[in-house]
Amino acid sequence: MNAALADRFLEQTQNPDGGWGYHPGDPSMVEPTGAVMLALADGSDGSDRPAWSRAHAWLEQAQHPDGGWGFGLEDPESHWATAWAILALARRQPDTPAVRRGVRWLWEVPVLRIVQRDLTEEIARGLGIDPAIAGWPWRPGEAAWVEPTALALLALAAAGALAENLPRIPEAVRYLADRRCRGGGWNFGNPFMLGTYLPPRAHPTAWALLALGQVAPDQIRDEDVAALRHEMAADGGALALALGVLALETIGRPDPQARARLAAMQQPDGSWAGSPYVTALARLALGGGWPWQPRA
Amino acid sequence: MAAPRLTRRAFLRLLLLAGIGGGLAYAERRTQPAGLSNFLRWLARGWLRQQQPPAIVALAGGLDYDENVLRDALEDLWAQAGMPEVAGKRVLVKPNLIDWMEGRPIVTAPEVVAAVLDVLQARGAAAVVVGEGPGFRRDAKPLVAHSGLARVLAAHGVPFVDLNYDALRPVPTRDGWFPRTSTLWLPRHVVEADLIVSVAKLKTHHWAGVTLSLKNLFGVVPGARYGWPKNILHVNGITPSILGLRASLPPVVSVIDGIVGMEGDGPLLGTPVPHGVLLAGADPLAVDLIGAQIMGFGAEEIEHLAIGTWAGLGQGFHIEVRGAPLEALRRRYQRPPGKS
Repeated sequence: MNAALADRFLEQTQNPDGGWGYHPGDPSMVEPTGAVMLALADGSDGSDRPAWSRAHAWLEQAQHPDGGWGFGLEDPESHWATAWAILALARRQPDTPAVRRGVRWLWEVPVLRIVQRDLTEEIARGLGIDPAIAGWPWRPGEAAWVEPTALALLALAAAGALAENLPRIPEAVRYLADRRCRGGGWNFGNPFMLGTYLPPRAHPTAWALLALGQVAPDQIRDEDVAALRHEMAADGGALALALGVLALETIGRPDPQARARLAAMQQPDGSWAGSPYVTALARLALGGGWPWQPRA
Repeated sequence: MAAPRLTRRAFLRLLLLAGIGGGLAYAERRTQPAGLSNFLRWLARGWLRQQQPPAIVALAGGLDYDENVLRDALEDLWAQAGMPEVAGKRVLVKPNLIDWMEGRPIVTAPEVVAAVLDVLQARGAAAVVVGEGPGFRRDAKPLVAHSGLARVLAAHGVPFVDLNYDALRPVPTRDGWFPRTSTLWLPRHVVEADLIVSVAKLKTHHWAGVTLSLKNLFGVVPGARYGWPKNILHVNGITPSILGLRASLPPVVSVIDGIVGMEGDGPLLGTPVPHGVLLAGADPLAVDLIGAQIMGFGAEEIEHLAIGTWAGLGQGFHIEVRGAPLEALRRRYQRPPGKS
């Protein structure tokens, strides 16, 4: 990887307002902005980069009065993007008021939890899950899904907030265990649908492994790692490889072949797939890795 | 002064007013959560549809994935179906690329997309893009590569837009199908299109019964705002979401790839049905009704088609089929689990 070239691509694609879109020139959004901030802070706290400081200001501007974030400045609803904003802001300083308000939003966001016995039994038959166990939803009030649950756990860990609401953390870990696909890895939500087992997918599996690495590494199984290796190789896209390599390096199970394949996908302009978002994740994966070390 | 007396006539008038008020209150309660005004509007529009001329759906049978044959077949269908003029228009072609599983016909065949691009380019469309926001993949590019669509796009010089990550525009929900949502955030390439061509797959669907050109519109809802797999649509309900998207989007026309369909546990885990059919029409509801009939479903079996017809969201009462005879193409697809 040419890290300097990647950084130059990221800095050159920053919007005048300080954020990044998923594609150069697109309006700034929280997820790509958060990912790029983590990448640009690689090996430092980022404060020495003017691009990082402008992005920091944009993120603070985008925070809603309820403490959460939408996809960008014009989105009035707080949702899953909140976790990305917390990750980016906590990278420099985990105890600022903006981070604290974001953390409170994550603790308080409502999630669908079904506890009526007749319904839980029916859902268990149809979807193979226990709907009484909740993680985090994409949007307030909806059911929990693997990726927003993993992102929330990572954000809370980054903000040093895991101990604030102990019951919710072990429940989220149980949620991930409950949603694990047969044979390892994760699909987006349920592992089973109307009589058929669903296959794992690279992206949710990578996020789930990253999160478990932070909060419950003893829950990681060899079959999860094997599922991720297989799925990211089969997918073959830069995003799947970047996330997969990032997760595997972070939990101490590197995949040199995938790493080499990802490095070879860097384009002459320094990017991966021409996207600031994918480039940021690839830069992290091949550089310093996830900024927060997994729990021993 | 003596108190005014209630005459018999006044009493009957009061009784009539009370009856009307009570009837409206009852109707309001019975039409929750749609709301009485929505209910009456849909009812009236459905009644008006019954008075209007038929929609045209064009059918071809006996096809395979030979690109030259398909191009000629679709050109014929396009003309027979009276599709709208595309010269000078910005057109979004929306195939079904929900996921990729080797050996399973879950996506629109790239050869059918190629035929659509040929027709659009031959008819002078000003700008054509192909876009999809897969529900079960975070990244559409590998799907484009694995499915063979990348080759087609390169040959036609047409870009692909991953609708999950496009710039977003607010669109007011229309027609009352999203009662708890006043605004949908939709991809720029969807909102700015003059015409959307929904190029769907002839498949069963375990929740909706079938997934044809209307259900295919779920792919325009962006994951970057609503997550994967677009949970808002399931929370709102599949039927109202299908109909609400149809009502909130720019004009949509339909092409359905039934050359190899899917039966059983669709949309992902069903089994292939070599069928050889291609459908096209300017009214997605009518095209889907014919598609469902070709699969052996009655209109009443597919809730969103039945309600869409009743509410007049297309011409479902009178449909003229042109081209190949429908009866000759009709099969009985194995039902999805729980819908036999």
